[in-house]
Amino acid sequence: MSSVRLDGITKRYGHTLAVEDISLNIAEREFVTLLGPSGCGKTTLLRIIAGLIEPTAGRIYFDQQDVTYLSPRARNIGFVFQQPALFPHLSVADNVGFGLSVKGVRKDVIAKRVEDMLALVGLSGYGKRMPAQLSGGQQQRVALARVLATDPRVLLFDEPLSALDRNLRETLKYSILDLQRKTGKTAIYVTHDQTEAFAISDRIVVMNAGRIEQIGTQMDIYLHPATPFVAEFIGANNSLSGVVTSVQEGEVTVDADGLRIHCRPHSAFREGDAVLGYIRPENIALLNDKDDHDVHHIGYINVFDGVLDRVIFEGATAQVRVNVNGRELRVDVSGAQRLTLSRRGGRVRIGFNDVTLIPKPA
Amino acid sequence: MNRLLSTRRLTDIASHAYIWLLLLLFVMPFAALVNYSLTGPRGEFALQNFAYVFGSFTENLGWSFRISLLTLLINLAISLPAAYGLVRYNYPGKHLLFAFLSLPLYVPAAVLGIALVLTFNFTYRLTTSEWGLVLAMVVGSFPLMLTPTVVALKDLPIVFEEAAQCLGASKWQTYWRVVFPLIGPGIGAGMLLCFIIVFNEYLVTLFVKPTFITTAPVRVFNLVRTAGLLPTTAALAVVMQVISFLAVLLFFRIYGTRYLKGTYLL
Repeated sequence: MSSVRLDGITKRYGHTLAVEDISLNIAEREFVTLLGPSGCGKTTLLRIIAGLIEPTAGRIYFDQQDVTYLSPRARNIGFVFQQPALFPHLSVADNVGFGLSVKGVRKDVIAKRVEDMLALVGLSGYGKRMPAQLSGGQQQRVALARVLATDPRVLLFDEPLSALDRNLRETLKYSILDLQRKTGKTAIYVTHDQTEAFAISDRIVVMNAGRIEQIGTQMDIYLHPATPFVAEFIGANNSLSGVVTSVQEGEVTVDADGLRIHCRPHSAFREGDAVLGYIRPENIALLNDKDDHDVHHIGYINVFDGVLDRVIFEGATAQVRVNVNGRELRVDVSGAQRLTLSRRGGRVRIGFNDVTLIPKPA
Repeated sequence: MNRLLSTRRLTDIASHAYIWLLLLLFVMPFAALVNYSLTGPRGEFALQNFAYVFGSFTENLGWSFRISLLTLLINLAISLPAAYGLVRYNYPGKHLLFAFLSLPLYVPAAVLGIALVLTFNFTYRLTTSEWGLVLAMVVGSFPLMLTPTVVALKDLPIVFEEAAQCLGASKWQTYWRVVFPLIGPGIGAGMLLCFIIVFNEYLVTLFVKPTFITTAPVRVFNLVRTAGLLPTTAALAVVMQVISFLAVLLFFRIYGTRYLKGTYLL
């Protein structure tokens, strides 16, 4: 178990920057996820931490030790790949014992450790089988046992669930979290799937185009996205662009092409600032006509009338498009209300409080 | 319409006939050879020719095996690192280098023989020796080992090597415990091709062999030239054919046919 510190890591391939000046501190026992779209540099960064790629500039420290130029072998890491990558010519037990065997550990010690590790991942008694005889999920469990057997300082995961089907992903992501908690390892996990990242992380690092966009907890990233990229990448979002028209006691009023929106932002804005506003579809309520007499009584500082454009019933939720003065807003409806929506063309009233404001980039 | 004479049935018969005809063309000469090798002095059926093979020709077969095995070992030592370097590293001129390394395959045996005699005698001042013969065989046959090994390595995802490294394996441990076992079939295919070629090579051998070595193919050649075609010589030829055939069968048994795709054996 080590803390991990990245200091100005940069990787350049010819003229393209895969990773640009990334500094990051990861505490001992922490579970940190690198989240971003494909090609954002998250896998490159993970492979740099593992030592499979040498950075063009910057330093990597495990605890106080500078490991920047150490081979993966000398770093004592556990790397779980996208594919289980079990050695197909070795039995499950020999796969799990591989890391100890190459270090020259005695056979009986290895056998004991292999048994413990297989029990840990719930595959006791599978030792004699060959990898090809296991299902994809079982293979990935063996891969986990294999990296844990060497007692690594840091666990690195490169989208380990992306090759599995959905149900398996659900259960296995919690197994990974459980194992990390039980063993107390520091873990760095790469994924492009935000529900996965939200489910298992202590902190999430959102990356885009080789840079870090935001580091924070699930709540930070969901409620207070720091950049337009994060606001648009995490969940679905309605975006508006406008100008701040008044600031009063922490309440900011924004004029977005004639739509007057009130919000209580986290950071300070001044009149005349150009801003981007984001309203999450799940934070907008469809109001009944009965509610229409007193806006403040029902607790919404923004209330608009609109026309129901489209209703997409998705099962657990319904996605509704509401046209407000020619601007389409997405509203996600859950609960019993979703079952009684008129199909389209009806007049509706919507209300919302939470608006994320971000200064418009120049 | 008569089912027996439907178009489909006729094509079936025609294609079968074609296959059997081709098979006959290939098998006929060998069948004739086997028949001749089983003929006694008065034209009767006899096994005594084969007794002769394992008597007076043992030494020749022994030399053939010995030269083949030494060649295989040296080929292995050259081809494994060469293939790894060609597949896993990027450098300018890589494809050109591979083309150059495959060149001996396209050089006629006689040209290779003369070139080697010149090189050994006049450049290195080596008189002909057993090692000279082995090296000549290596020069002519190592591309046969290199090519299947390169193909097998290209098919092997690099993730296995990365996994081994991350688990703490050294480069050598990664080669021996992961890479070589996983490209085993490719290496096996290469060894098989090399063995068959070297075991049966006689033209290059004639050029560079020392006087005290007579391999089986050279013996067959000498006997036919000096004594005409005797049933005993035919028996030696049959034995050589059977050895090559067994090598192929053994390979099929262990690895199946897929690793020989693209070679002239399949």
